[in-house]
Amino acid sequence: MRPRRRGADTVQFDWITITAQIANFLVLIWLLKRFLYAPITDAMARREERIATRLSQARLARAEAEHEAQVLSDSRKALKEAWEEELRKARQDAAALRKQLQDEARNEISQQREGWLAQAETERADTLHDIRLRLNKQVFTVVRRVLSDLADTKLTSQVANAFTRQLETLAPEQREKLADTIRKDDRAVVESGLDLPSATRSHITRAIHQNLADGAEVTYRLDRSLLLGIRLTIGQMTIEWSAGRHLEKLEKAASEAIEAEFAEARR
Amino acid sequence: MDINPDTWILLDWNGWHINATIAFTWGVMAVLVVASWLITARLSDGENVSRWQVMLEVIVTGIRDQIAEVGTETPGRYLPFIGTLFLFIATANILTIIPGYRPPTGSLSTTSALAICVLIAVPLFSITQQGLGSYLRGYLRPSPFMLPFNILAEATRTIALAVRLYGNVMSGTVIAGILLSIAPFFFPVLMQLLGLLTGLIQAYIFAVLAMVYIASASRAGPHHTHDPAPEPSRNEGE
Repeated sequence: MRPRRRGADTVQFDWITITAQIANFLVLIWLLKRFLYAPITDAMARREERIATRLSQARLARAEAEHEAQVLSDSRKALKEAWEEELRKARQDAAALRKQLQDEARNEISQQREGWLAQAETERADTLHDIRLRLNKQVFTVVRRVLSDLADTKLTSQVANAFTRQLETLAPEQREKLADTIRKDDRAVVESGLDLPSATRSHITRAIHQNLADGAEVTYRLDRSLLLGIRLTIGQMTIEWSAGRHLEKLEKAASEAIEAEFAEARR
Repeated sequence: MDINPDTWILLDWNGWHINATIAFTWGVMAVLVVASWLITARLSDGENVSRWQVMLEVIVTGIRDQIAEVGTETPGRYLPFIGTLFLFIATANILTIIPGYRPPTGSLSTTSALAICVLIAVPLFSITQQGLGSYLRGYLRPSPFMLPFNILAEATRTIALAVRLYGNVMSGTVIAGILLSIAPFFFPVLMQLLGLLTGLIQAYIFAVLAMVYIASASRAGPHHTHDPAPEPSRNEGE
């Protein structure tokens, strides 16, 4: 069926249709705005917002993770540094300790050695001292024996001669003193290491009478300790010429010299 | 043959008649609204998005990008108007593949109505954006002497917009009819295909031109002293 026609096939303005179309278009705008643009743009906006939120969350998480990683890395680095520092310190301490121990050991050894050396030196000095003393004594013992073995009448008279010469060469004040003593006591004792022959005795007695007091009584005694010698005792005073006495003096002097040297060495 | 759907009366009731233009416009509207409603009723803002939603998002984003390309800073403000222009014209033209359908855009009434909408929308957007005084002063630029020419330009622009769309769509129908009488079977099919292409191009041109007019009018304010975007040449698609 053909639709009805209104008017000819000419271009014409149908104002009613135009108005209706304007209305239709406005309605369509409203409808599409209501059902198409608003929902679609809203949905896209929501999605974009959510994506942005997730992205920002991811960024945040990433930043946190990076921060954590940085913190971990820093702490690991710090640990390593501390460890290395400790190790270095421990090595230094160990080296210092080793040096200290070495020094101590060296000092100890050196002290011990010094002690040993000192001890050895002391022992050597003691031994030497002993040896010297013993040698000294031995020497004088031998000398005494030699003297006693060699002592005979002739030698004794030589000793008496020496004694009388001593009397003669006495200092005047000593001689005066002796003479005073013998005058008070009127007695003189002559001791000798060997038995004196009578000629020698009379020679001595004569010398006493001539030099000290004429007529004084002279008594003779034997004293082996004098060895080769003669001793005149008047009261508290004595005059003596004796090899034994000389030897004693010599021995004493030698001993003193040895002791002094020893003391010097000790110092 | 009819080339004007306005003259095709489908229903006549007490002196009120419903012609094919209005009826098919309602059909196109119904298709658009129902499809939008069906898809947007199950919208997802998560990762799993249906293909239909993706399609709608692509369309909406594409329109928005086109609006932004013309040079406006707030494409969302113009999206319903420009988007509806494009979607309506495109759908009306694409549906020509349905036998018996006559595109409402082939009626001068429809294209005039759309052009009048643009004519009204241009000052409306401009006034809401920069105020009435600033908009009116735009007619006096660059000198008050230009006032009649500016008004003339506004009027001819609207008429050109209406006639361009009408002429293109109607010509498609006319050419198809002529070819059908000369060489049936084969050529009409090709022309139908060509009609689909020109229909989409016309939808695009109409929407973009409307946007350019709106944008240039909005930019003519006191804060936008630079030259408006160059208008597309007057003979594209024709």
